[in-house]
Order: sequence, then structure tokens, then C-alpha cells
Amino acid sequence: MPDLKKTRNFCIIAHIDHGKTTLSDRLLEATNTVEMRNMKEQLLDSMDLERERGITIKCHPVTLLYKAPDGEIWTLNLIDTPGHVDFSYEVSRSLAACEGALLLVDAAQGIEAQTVANCHLAMKQDMVIVPIINKIDLPGADIDHARSQLEEVLAIPGDEAVLASAKNGIGISDIFEAILARMPSPRWYDFPQARALVFDCVFDAFKGVICFVRIFSGSIRRGQQIVLMSDGTRTEVKEVGVFSPKMRPIDSLDPGSVGYIVTGIKEVADIRLGDTITLADAPAKEMLPGYQEVRPMVFAGLYPIDTSDYEKLKVSMAKLRLNDSAFVYQPESSVALGFGFRCGFLGLLHMEIVVERIRREYDLDIISTYPSVVYLVTKSDGEVVEVQNPVHLPDPSEIEQVEEPMIRATLHLPNEYIGDILALVMEKRGMVENTETIDAQRVMLTALLPLNEIVVDFNDRLKSITRGYGSMDYDFAEYQVSKLVKLDILVNGEQVDAFSSVVHTDKAAAKGRMLCAKLKEILPRQLFKVAIQAAVGSNVVARETIGALRKDVTAKCYGGDISRKRKLLEKQKEGKKRMKQIGKVAIPQEAFIDILKSTN
Amino acid sequence: MHVPFCARACDFCNFYQERPDRTGIQDYLAAMEREFALYPPARPFETVFWGGGTPGLLKAEDLRRLGRIIQNADTRHLREWTVEMAPGSVREDKLESLREMGVTRVSMGVQSFDDGLLERLGRPHTRRQVDQAIDLIRKLEFPNWNLDLMFALPGQTLTQWEADIRAAMEREPPHLSTYCLTFEEDTTLWVRLQKGQVHKRSEVEEAAFYERAWDLLASGGYGQYEVSNFARPGYSCIHNLNTWRMHEWLGYGPSASSQLGQRRWTNAHDLEAWATGVATARPARVDEVALTPNLLAQDCVVFGLRMNEGIDLCHLQKRYPDADWPALDTLLAQLVEEALIEVTEARWTLTRSGRLLADAIGSAVIGAMDADALAPAS
Repeated sequence: MPDLKKTRNFCIIAHIDHGKTTLSDRLLEATNTVEMRNMKEQLLDSMDLERERGITIKCHPVTLLYKAPDGEIWTLNLIDTPGHVDFSYEVSRSLAACEGALLLVDAAQGIEAQTVANCHLAMKQDMVIVPIINKIDLPGADIDHARSQLEEVLAIPGDEAVLASAKNGIGISDIFEAILARMPSPRWYDFPQARALVFDCVFDAFKGVICFVRIFSGSIRRGQQIVLMSDGTRTEVKEVGVFSPKMRPIDSLDPGSVGYIVTGIKEVADIRLGDTITLADAPAKEMLPGYQEVRPMVFAGLYPIDTSDYEKLKVSMAKLRLNDSAFVYQPESSVALGFGFRCGFLGLLHMEIVVERIRREYDLDIISTYPSVVYLVTKSDGEVVEVQNPVHLPDPSEIEQVEEPMIRATLHLPNEYIGDILALVMEKRGMVENTETIDAQRVMLTALLPLNEIVVDFNDRLKSITRGYGSMDYDFAEYQVSKLVKLDILVNGEQVDAFSSVVHTDKAAAKGRMLCAKLKEILPRQLFKVAIQAAVGSNVVARETIGALRKDVTAKCYGGDISRKRKLLEKQKEGKKRMKQIGKVAIPQEAFIDILKSTN
Repeated sequence: MHVPFCARACDFCNFYQERPDRTGIQDYLAAMEREFALYPPARPFETVFWGGGTPGLLKAEDLRRLGRIIQNADTRHLREWTVEMAPGSVREDKLESLREMGVTRVSMGVQSFDDGLLERLGRPHTRRQVDQAIDLIRKLEFPNWNLDLMFALPGQTLTQWEADIRAAMEREPPHLSTYCLTFEEDTTLWVRLQKGQVHKRSEVEEAAFYERAWDLLASGGYGQYEVSNFARPGYSCIHNLNTWRMHEWLGYGPSASSQLGQRRWTNAHDLEAWATGVATARPARVDEVALTPNLLAQDCVVFGLRMNEGIDLCHLQKRYPDADWPALDTLLAQLVEEALIEVTEARWTLTRSGRLLADAIGSAVIGAMDADALAPAS
């Protein structure tokens, strides 16, 4: 059993690009956890996609053995946290496994939305926060400014900050000393029964489901029967071990330690993050605090562009789900797009990551429909239904009320953009609840916004208005009654299901006009006039007409031209086969893709 | 019969052609004689068409040598014999030889009476040469003669086009062909289009050029009988009508096409390959396809509709009873509803707006008639 007094469990919280991964690497290096020659740049982010986008999606814990200046060996468990708003519950579970957090602030950029959001998450859990001002050797570094921001925004005394440059190895020993001196040793070790927090899990083709755990009390060994407390699932422990940084089996995981448990459970989907593991023969009655059921917030249809790829897509989704329990899917079909899947995601970034992984790792060409949120619809007969797909919104005459999910967003931005951002929040039907001055240059806004307004382009707009200096974090707030309607697109009177969306009644006409105009631009002209309409129920809110094709005739068509002409016509016919027939109008698949892309 | 020689390549033309030289021409004539001897028409033919290339480029003696191939064949049913000429190569001795051997129709690629436009097309002749050639054709009293005009040329205005049509009509040819400029790959014009040096006319502009021609020619007594062809009554080109009605034809020479029995093919677009094929009696052919009744039926509709006479659906159903005619019902009804097709007595004809869309309608016809054939696979 490790000496609890010489054990520290901590994580690093930071805004994207403030140097979290670099600092992790330095800490590993300083403790010889990885030999230099095995060091790869940014070791902890192993997925290509993560590395490319500079964000961490999955947490990778690691145990560091630190030799203090007095010669004593300390066990330091570092738990990496995901770096995006979509994964805030995952972040909170990683934090819950620790007693302390290193709060990394970029000396040049100062405090950003995510710094605040993550810091608040940590404070809520009574964690000890060690602020670090990073990148102090950069030309734009303003240490005093960062210190005063810490005090003003987060109420953390500025002189507590450790000054460092993770990139150049400055201040690393100060950081270790701060961890040892300021962070508490593992808590709750004396609870009478065994309790371990599941903060992540992965699927391994050989071992099955592996849970990443923080042991709070009791010991867990191979061969024991354990219980997942959220639903009472019983399973056998096949193996326990630690991360150094690769998985290494050990005999027993003891209180205060961080490690993994190989279970007999077959699917990651059966593990709930934040769950508490206890021993079957002496079970705890009370779970560790903070457990929540994670529910997908954003839904979209994913369809193979080549319809024959359906099976391949199905297989790839099943594989993805093995390691991503937050991703859900079920088959659905669309008149316009054929057979595909309705998929649920934590947020838009999560959706982007899944779509991108399917494209890259499984080499599939797919198209996604508009992202939609989950609406709560109360029907006239009192029944409440959840609607994830706009197509399934009941007829307006059957609807008593529609509720939509609202989020509370924290926006950090330079003062000069406040007017434009307030306008953006208004445009997105949001309400600013609070405005706080961070310092002479920056402000923090708190706003209540409908999720369906931010899933599409809010973050991009924020970034472009503030030239990249604005940042955002959000959390689900509540369901609110709203005047929402289904906007349908009709081509020559036939509804095109893939283009249906749920919009606020005040925005229906504008969105309808935008979609109609876009379709007019994209749809190839036909032999006849084509009417494009946007409608709410039977009420047409926008329309466009695509004039009939005017001239399509070859001038010369003699004996020698017949074969050539014939080939040309055959080619056109092949092209038509790839089109979706909506009534008598043939719409090329490319048009669907263009529309969904350009308006997403 | 394809004569593949041109003095120079015109900027718009992608037909197969070679630079003429004395031995090349002699070898070509010998190979033509041999090809005709090897694969003679199985029954008497009604029309002969010499195209190219520039058949008129051959010297009078060479024209006579080529003519003897026809003269020595069974000409009992021969009703029309056309020779294509370029205005610059028309000579009295050539025309005399042609007239003597029995040529009935001369077709001349005038393209425009506007020297500026001619220059821009890379056509090596002038308005004056055209008039001299027309005088000679008249003098030798060919029963039928045609002028080709081109429109929607880069830089050409509708007024200029109208002037060209009027200039052509003033010269009173029995037959007129008017061709909308097409940018064909492997032409100088295509390259200039790719480089952005010239621009393609919009669909609406091209339609306006078409319709202006149709109106003017009709008022001048030229009846339209196909998208690009007009004639005084009785002067339509029998040879081309035969093609569009999907009968049979035999092509001799490199790049010439044939449709015979259940097959359609084209000779190699290469003088040497074709000549070797002929010499070894192993013909060099490309694009050889088997003609099924369904395919021929489709082509009867597609190419038939390009003619003003349209198609006689009952007649076609009798000619190809096994083709998938019911598959056309919905499409035809739709085209009638959109006023692109008219039904008069038993005939289906394109309306004026339908004629401007003959290609789009053609591909819809093929799509409809093939739909069933494609279905069982899935």
C-alpha cells in the first residue's frame, strides 16, 4: 500500500493551446517516466485527430514517481482532461478523481472562457488549485496582467502563481514543489467500504472493456467480484494495473491510487462515466458524488453518399461506439438520402469528431443532415414526446407546446467587440444575464441561449467577429417553452425530408428564403419550371422558381455523330441514376451535399 | 465516303483530317478502291455522300478516280450524290468532273459572309471566293446545293447573324444548314476557350440565335426539316434523312461510320491504321456496338424527334415490337403537358421550345426506356 502522505492526484486545466499537453510532457520527462528517446512530441494526445486539432478528447492518466530534493519518492498521478465544452461532464469526472489541479494560464493571452469554466468545475469539488502562468518567456507575456486577472476573475491570489515556461522547461521544479506542498493527500480513504470512481474507459480487442479508475477506499484485486453501483451490474476483475505510462499489471489497486481495471464487460456502452465501483461481498451503499447520466444533446442523420456503403457505415459506427459511449445511433431512412443512421452526440464538436473519424479511419464518404437538438413536445392530448428529428415533429394542430434546451454560455472577449457579440447573442435568440469586466481590455458575458441556435455556427461567428480572441464555454441550463415550428422545403410541391428543420417562428421566413435561394443556385435546371417553396405547415413563407432549361441541343448530328451522341446521352443517363427523384424533379446528390454543407 | 484531307485545320473543327501530299492521296485512293471491293454494299444504294476533311481539295483526276468506285457499283437506285467543298478549293474543272460522274448536290462550308468573323474562325476563304464558287456551282447547274452557316460565334451579334442569313438567302441556295458553334475538344477554339480568350455564349443567347434563324428562314421560304437544316420544298438531303430515320448506311475511308444489320461501327480515325486494316483485310474499327431492338427504338425516337416530321409512334412500335414502349408513356405525357411535344394524328413532334431542348429530351427518353433493363440488377 502506497504511502498516502506521499501520494498526490492532480490534473491540469487550461484553455485550448495554453500549453497543457506540453506541460504534461515536461512532467513526464522530469520524472523519467518516459525515456527521452521514447518521447514523442506531445505524448499524451495519441489520436491523430486530437493532435491535429490541438485538443484532447480522451483522458490518459499516468503515474509519475517523483524524487523530491530530500530524496523521498512521491507517487504523483496525473490525469489529463479533455479540452472542449462538449466534454465538460467528462472533465468534471476527471477532476473528481483528483484533489488538486494545476490551472494553466497563458501569460500573453490571459484567462479565457474555458479557463474559467474548468476552474469553476474544480472549485465546486473543493479542489486545491495551483495557478501557473505559462509561456512567461514569450515576447508578449504580461505576468502582472495575468496575476491581476487571476485575482479579479477567479478570486485566486495572484502571488500564488508559479511562473513557468513548459516549452523551455522553466519553473518545472517549482511546479513539483507546489504540488507536494499545496495539494492535499488523497481524501476519503477511510470510508468503510471499497469505492472507486470510473473516470474513463476504453475498449481493447484482447482484454475487452478497461475502466480507468481512481480508488478512494478499499483495495481491488484480480479475481474479485465488483459491482457498478449506478445499475448494479456485477462483473469479475480480470486484471488491475497502473499507467507508467503504458498499462502495467500490478497485484492490487489501493486507496488513493489511480489505475485500471479490466472487467468482464463486453461493451464500453455498458459503462457509465462517473460510476462508482464497489466490491460485491462488502458493497458500499453510497456512490461517490457527482454521478450523472450523460445524454446526447445534438442529433443528426448520417448517410453514406454511395448507398452501397450502408453496411460498411454500420460496422464503422459499431466500432466507434466501442470507445465512445456518448455516441449513440439508430437506423433511419430518408426519402432524399436513402438509408442511414440517426446519431446522437454530446455537442457539435463531438459530432465533427465522429464524422471525421468515420471519413478517415473507415474511408467512408458520408453526408450529415442538419444537426438538431432534442425538443420536448407536449401534444394536445397531454402526451409529452421527445423529438430528435425535425421530420417527426407532430402536425402543428396537435401541438400544445414545444420546449427547447437552453444552455448557459460564458463568453470571454476583448471589449471592442462587445457590441457585435451582443448583436450576435440577440440574433441567436439569447439573453445576456451578466456582464463582467475582467480587466481594461476584456469582458465576460454570461448568456442564456437556445442550444439549437449555437449548434450551427455560433462558435465560428464568435471567433470571426473577435478575430480569434473570443472564447466560449457552455453548460446545459434548462428546457424552455419556445415558439418553434417545423420548416419544410418543397420542390414542385413534394417535401424534401432531408431539408426539414425546426426553427423559431420569427426566423422561419428568413431561413426559408435563404434555403430557397441556395437551392435555386444549386439545382440544375430541368425541362420544366421548378417551384421551390419553404413552408411552415401549409403556410408558404418563401418561394423561388427555377426557370426551365432554355437550350440543350447539339447542332450537328450526322452518321458519324450518332455514336458520339449516343455515348454522351448514355453518360447523362448514368448521371441521372445517381440523382434522387423528388416527384418529377431529379436532384443530384451533390445538390444535397452542397445545401447541407453551405447552410450547416 | 470520308476524304480525310484538309489544307489547314479550322479553329472549330474536330473532324478527322490529314495534311494532303501526293503519295498519301494516291495510297488513300487505292485503299478506298480496295475497301469498297472488300465490303461492297449488299444491295443498291440510294445516296452517296462525300464528306471529310475536304473532298473538294482533291484534284479533278483524283475526284474522277474516287467517282469511278461509285460509277462501277450498282447505281440503279442512286437518287442523290453529295460532295462537300470548301469555297477556296472550288474550281471549274473539278465541278465539271463531278457533274459528269453524276454528282447531284454540292455542299459548301461558307460559315459566314463576314470576312472579319471568317478570319476569327480560321477559315481560309473570303466572301469574294464564296461568291465565285456559287457562280460556278450555278453555272454547272447542280440540281441541289447547300451552304453551311455558323452562328453564336465569338464576337458575333444577332444583327450580324441576321445579315449572314439574309446574305445566304439572297444567293438562293436550294438548301441551307445553320450550325450553332460548339466548342469541341482538340480544336484551336477549345484551347482558346480554356485560356479564357473566347467565351461561350449563354444558353439564352444561343437560343435567341437559333430562333432568329428559324424565323428568318421560314419567312424566306426555307422549310426547317431538322434542328440545323432547311430547304426549299423537295430539296431536303435524302442522305441525312435516311440516317435520322435509323436506316442503314455504309462508311468508307478513315473515320467513316456505318450502321448495318445489327451493328454500328466507325473506321479508325487514323489514315495509316485504316489503310493497313484494308490492306490486310482486317478492318481497323472503333466503337463497334451491337444494335438491340430497344437501342434502335430509342435512337429512332431520339434522332427522329430532331426532325420536324417527328416520329410515328405506331409505326415504330410495329418496327420494334419488343422495345419498352410503355416506359415512354409517362415521359411523353409530361413533355406534352410542358408543351415541349405535340401530338398530331399519329405523329409526335417537338414544339419550337422542345426542339431547343432535343438533347435533354433525348437523354430523358433513353433514361426512361432503359429504366426497366437496369432495375433487376439491384
